[in-house]
Amino acid sequence: MVEKGEALGNAVEVKELTKSYGSLLAVDHVSFEVKDKEIFGLLGPNGAGKTTTIRMICGMLRPTSGTAVVAGFDVSNKPQEVKRRIGLVPDVSNLFGELSARVNLEFMGKLYGLDRKTRRERIDQVLELFQLKDRQNDLVKYYSKGMHRRLTIAAALIHQPEILVMDEPTSGLDAQAARLVREIIIDLNKEGRTIFLTTHQIDEADRLAQRVGIIDRGRLITLNTPEQIKNSTEGMRALEIKILNGVDQQRWVPIISGVEGVDNVFLAEGKIRILSKNLSQIIPTVVNLVGKHGGKIENISVTQPTLEDAYINLTGKGIREEPMSKEEYLQRRLARSGLR
Amino acid sequence: MKIVTPLLNAVWIAENDLRQSFKSVRHVVWSLLFPIFMMLTFSFRYGATEPDIQFITFLIPGIVGMTAMFGSINETMSIVWDKALGVFDRVLAAPVSSTSIIVGKTMSGAVMGVISALVLLIIGNMIFGVSFVNISFVLLIILLASFSFTGIGTIISGLASEPREAMMLSNLLRFPMMFLGGVFFPVEAMPMPLPYIARALPLTYATEALRAIEIGNISLVFVDAIVLLVYTIGTMLLGSQILMRIMTR
Repeated sequence: MVEKGEALGNAVEVKELTKSYGSLLAVDHVSFEVKDKEIFGLLGPNGAGKTTTIRMICGMLRPTSGTAVVAGFDVSNKPQEVKRRIGLVPDVSNLFGELSARVNLEFMGKLYGLDRKTRRERIDQVLELFQLKDRQNDLVKYYSKGMHRRLTIAAALIHQPEILVMDEPTSGLDAQAARLVREIIIDLNKEGRTIFLTTHQIDEADRLAQRVGIIDRGRLITLNTPEQIKNSTEGMRALEIKILNGVDQQRWVPIISGVEGVDNVFLAEGKIRILSKNLSQIIPTVVNLVGKHGGKIENISVTQPTLEDAYINLTGKGIREEPMSKEEYLQRRLARSGLR
Repeated sequence: MKIVTPLLNAVWIAENDLRQSFKSVRHVVWSLLFPIFMMLTFSFRYGATEPDIQFITFLIPGIVGMTAMFGSINETMSIVWDKALGVFDRVLAAPVSSTSIIVGKTMSGAVMGVISALVLLIIGNMIFGVSFVNISFVLLIILLASFSFTGIGTIISGLASEPREAMMLSNLLRFPMMFLGGVFFPVEAMPMPLPYIARALPLTYATEALRAIEIGNISLVFVDAIVLLVYTIGTMLLGSQILMRIMTR
């Protein structure tokens, strides 16, 4: 058993963590560490195994094999100690809609064993911090998505945890609310809290996380700082082109990917993005090829590779590609419902 | 401290569930309207223009038992809703033992069953003047019955993957139990093999015990109370096992 204090600067230590549901490997021998007081991002598409990893780390799901040590406590042996030190912000705001914000926070405070006086103080504190004080007595079901999110984070902070685990913290929020949540995350980290977040948004991981682990199909592909991950595209540059009258921009991807010297081609925000180490060499070839296939280039620009470029370079596919197969979806649903 | 904290957590969970259930007055009123409606409808028997008092004395204990069944099972269904809405995860993420969660959910189910049954008892008394000689025995039977129905509700909640499935499963049990549990017709008057089926249902023992209290047959009350206790232990153990599997999988 690992005792408190053995973490040696790591808030979370995960070793060979695995979760399988029958033949489906949701998390496949994943190992990583989250350092004390850092913002760590686990980046991957939906169904990559991010939430399953989080649930195992938070002591809500028993791993098939491997270990997770949080704040010096082994999750398998001391789940209650781990839960006391973690504040979980799930991907969907899971508050009691029929109750007010204050009553929701009151309930959470009780479950974490806070006495009446401490509860009252902390509730006032978080309501003030998240600008919810004037709506504290309104039923949560009448809250906007942004308010829901803020209250969910507030509920996770009621027991002042060392580690805040956030599953897709800005998912489903409008730009303004997402920005506010990101600011909150940065402020909480500045206060000395370790933040472990998952996201499928590459720019969010790039903006927030000091280190990023990329997970896909249950496997950790790489782990490094966003800058270092971007450096995996060393020597590469990105060419972005928009083809006029190209209603289906996707059709250009296989055409361009056949050009010699092209390392990767994909669509990003309606534009074709080409990664290559010999950009100067391939530009004339690509322009000629587009013209030959009846296309007309409206816009062309050369940029430095982004984290998304690095992600695609590492995984071989875009983060929004390849939806789950029907079989995989059903397996995951059954697994979640506890029927297998 | 080792017992106090888990027990306190169970109380907080039960309090939170009941707070939600009683938050909506409409919710409470609707859930009580069904048994009230059944009581009023069946009080006029075989086209009679006036209520048949002898039959009403037979009917009210059955309606009270049935109301406890509906109240307890409905309240325990909150587990399925909690799972569907993700709020169950909120409790799972907190440092609360699985036992506290199960005890808390059971407590809220039983409290709701008892309250609903008592309301019907009062209404039955106010409208038809039906009263019981020994109210403490009535409370004991209602409490035991509510716990056994809560156990059934926990099993359903554990087995169902989503609320619609839970509603269908609970109706599959509640409605046959309502008609075979001796609420409206005496078990002895049922054709074979229905009395055997009736004897397998906890509602039968609850209604039988409540009627026995009415006529002062205390030995039968004790027998039925023991059967209900066995039922409670059995269903609660099974329900806990199923829920535990979900919580620790």
